[in-house]
Amino acid sequence: MSVVHRVRLPVGARPLVDEGHAVEPAEVLATRRPPGEGRAVPVAGALRRSAGAAAACVVVTPGSVLSAGELLASDGRGREVRVPDDCLFLGYDAIDGSALVAPLLGTEPILGHVRGEVTGVSPEAIEIRVTGARVAGVGGSGGAVHGELRVAVHGPGDELRAGAIDVATTGRILVGGSRASAETLTRARAMGVAGIVLGGVLDKELRDFEATQRRRREIGGERGDLAILLLEGFGKVGLDPDLFSWFAAHDGHVASLFGESAELYVYDAAPPPARRTFPRPGDRVLAHRRPYAGLSGELVRVLPGLHATPAATARSGVVRFDDGLTAVVPLANLEAAERLSGG
Amino acid sequence: MTARVDAELALLIDVGSAWTKAGVVAKARGRWRLVAHVAQPSAWGDDELRGALAQQLARSADARLVDRLQALIAGANRIESHTPRRPGRIAVVAVSRELSGGSARRAAEAAGWEVVETVTLDDGRRLADRLAILQAAEVDAWLLAGGFDDARSQRALEAAALVASARRPGGGPVIWAGSTMLSEDVAELFESGATIVADNPRPDPRREELPRVRERLLAVLRSTLAGEDETQLATVALPRAVGALAAASRMRILAVDVGARAALRALSESDGTVVSRVHARGGLGGLAALPGAAARVARLAGDAGDESAVADLLQTLRARPSTMPQTPEDLSATHAATVVALAGMLEEGPPSGLDLLIGGGRSIAGAPSAPHAARMLLDGVRPVGVTQLAIDAAGLLAPLGSLPDDEIREGMALLADDLLAPLGTAVVTRGGELGRLAMRVTVHRPGWPTSQPIEVRGGQLQVVPLGRGQQAEVHIELGDGVGLGSARRSPRIAALATGGALGLVLDARGVPIALPRRGDDRRAMLASWREALSRETPPGVERIA
Repeated sequence: MSVVHRVRLPVGARPLVDEGHAVEPAEVLATRRPPGEGRAVPVAGALRRSAGAAAACVVVTPGSVLSAGELLASDGRGREVRVPDDCLFLGYDAIDGSALVAPLLGTEPILGHVRGEVTGVSPEAIEIRVTGARVAGVGGSGGAVHGELRVAVHGPGDELRAGAIDVATTGRILVGGSRASAETLTRARAMGVAGIVLGGVLDKELRDFEATQRRRREIGGERGDLAILLLEGFGKVGLDPDLFSWFAAHDGHVASLFGESAELYVYDAAPPPARRTFPRPGDRVLAHRRPYAGLSGELVRVLPGLHATPAATARSGVVRFDDGLTAVVPLANLEAAERLSGG
Repeated sequence: MTARVDAELALLIDVGSAWTKAGVVAKARGRWRLVAHVAQPSAWGDDELRGALAQQLARSADARLVDRLQALIAGANRIESHTPRRPGRIAVVAVSRELSGGSARRAAEAAGWEVVETVTLDDGRRLADRLAILQAAEVDAWLLAGGFDDARSQRALEAAALVASARRPGGGPVIWAGSTMLSEDVAELFESGATIVADNPRPDPRREELPRVRERLLAVLRSTLAGEDETQLATVALPRAVGALAAASRMRILAVDVGARAALRALSESDGTVVSRVHARGGLGGLAALPGAAARVARLAGDAGDESAVADLLQTLRARPSTMPQTPEDLSATHAATVVALAGMLEEGPPSGLDLLIGGGRSIAGAPSAPHAARMLLDGVRPVGVTQLAIDAAGLLAPLGSLPDDEIREGMALLADDLLAPLGTAVVTRGGELGRLAMRVTVHRPGWPTSQPIEVRGGQLQVVPLGRGQQAEVHIELGDGVGLGSARRSPRIAALATGGALGLVLDARGVPIALPRRGDDRRAMLASWREALSRETPPGVERIA
């Protein structure tokens, strides 16, 4: 099983790989030199012209990347202004007679965070074919990380507790259960956990945690953000038991987690349990809205016509949940889960 | 040998980003009627849609047709509209956050663009951060704004230079909506043909002029999303249908549609002239990212749980837009979220002088009952004056609007009573004081004895039964400082009210609605309004689903 992952390159990035190249998660695919803080380069004074008249002497256009010593302005009679460093030319101020440039900072690596084979390289992106399984979530936070998967709870409905995070989890991607508190997330970050996969999380706790991540970045503290992937929903929402079993079967596999785009690649893995909309009687189903969010069970039958409840009038079905509860649930709130073969 | 029985059918479908609405129109006893309609998640697909429609039709169809209903629906004339398959993404770069940036952003959003980044020279970021943000932006177009029309603003050129530094050549059109004196200078920063000059939304510090720049942005958006049949886009088709309806009925009509992703409003004058706005992130899914939205929804709903629970719900609406509320708390929060989305669409103030207000989108048109739908429209839009309320329950307007002009008119005439589900008429006042007389209303219904005048005080909401198809003459005396949105020439105002699933709603809650600060008081007041709307619903009204 393979999927194509696209690594978008920012403007000015220089690819270092070619098609057919095999890449590892930590491999540098491209480099870039980001622009730094703007700096004024006197032009009019150096050319002994008025600020307005010197505008015509500028020989580059905004957006041009200039190398150290490259010509910025010339009066055509031998007076010239050259840039002292590699920089990005942003514009000329016709009032004070100076050019605004942003010096290019040191080279920064661009990592793909995935293992695979490069299938396409362009100035905009590098495409990599990944051999493994892709799991998409409904939300996430943080950047891209990779590490070994480790299931850190006993059951899909269990909450990931701070106590489950110790030195053995450093650098790993943990699979939690139905929720992780802000305290757990903070501890995971402090212990150097690479990422966490959860069924759900309280939006407020996730936002509070993101705020602390942002603050840490702003004050220039430690790097190494924690990436989080939510698979089922917001609030306390358990993982699909079949999916949880699949994670358990792949404990120890290397995985790449992309928090912002809410996706996870697990290498050398069998396909994860598939989902489809519009379940049919006999299907294993997962419920997505309160009061049954995160519960799974079997769709026993579909009710004829529309079924009215105080909150909705909709096509509905009778679901026998795994915990023994039987309830009528709108079909729109159910997804059918395909059973794992042999599982 | 038995003669083969056939049926004349047409299938009207509106495919939304999350839900698809479909109606079957058939000729029954010589008249075209809406004979079945369903709404289902778009992901369920066509087969399931046909199956559900056939199931509904089977109850009333000729027995000789029952086995062939799905095939008949599949072969029916299909009239379709759909939301754009993907939103156009734009970055806004401007001089000032409040003036040029704010105006440019509003114009872009109103034209239907999704604004993915806004960078202004006074946004508090470092230059390096601005550049980094813009260099990483993945957009279809760039909107540049700054400088007043009578000046060559150096700052505006700096903003343009930022885009020139961050954009790849060929990286989408650059729309210059700044000082007209700088148009040529800006064009020189980009490759030939990359720049499109639009009107300055801030020609001077005191004036904001959005309509022309909005139209230009709309045209660029359409060319960006070229490949989709423009007439079938719901953002084009719905306003066309509203315009046709207004022209045919000589009414001033506002239609609002809050979808999963985007929201749309179309205001048509009685001559059919329409002004529409698409808010690319104005749908229910966009609220999760709106600062303070969860607190506002929790406050407006009253019974939906705390802010944290509402925040989870808003995220669920974003992440799983085709699911539906299953608990009263979720329903209440979803409806309050719809109210917030509606208010966001009408931020320049509530409209007045409307004859008809139409609600569309799953949350309004698919509300479990008429009071729910009416309350969202009343609370979200605050239509000051005497206004008929209706919902596009079967989602017919947008598909009809995708037809040629003459066929729209013909389709509307044929469907007549089935086109919209009337909720009734609302009298909404502005001004006055809480607890003091806001209006005294006398309702004359043909065939009924003249009733005693009904006194409605500031902060109150009352419903008078007035069934579908009924009309009543209403005489309104307004209290001191209370208005109906237009200059008052007489102490008594006469108006005609048309009935519906809810009746005549007398709403003196003011504009905007003032809610008590104390939580218990607020919840009690919200509950009393909810009860007032539900209690007076006349028995035997049609269900809205």
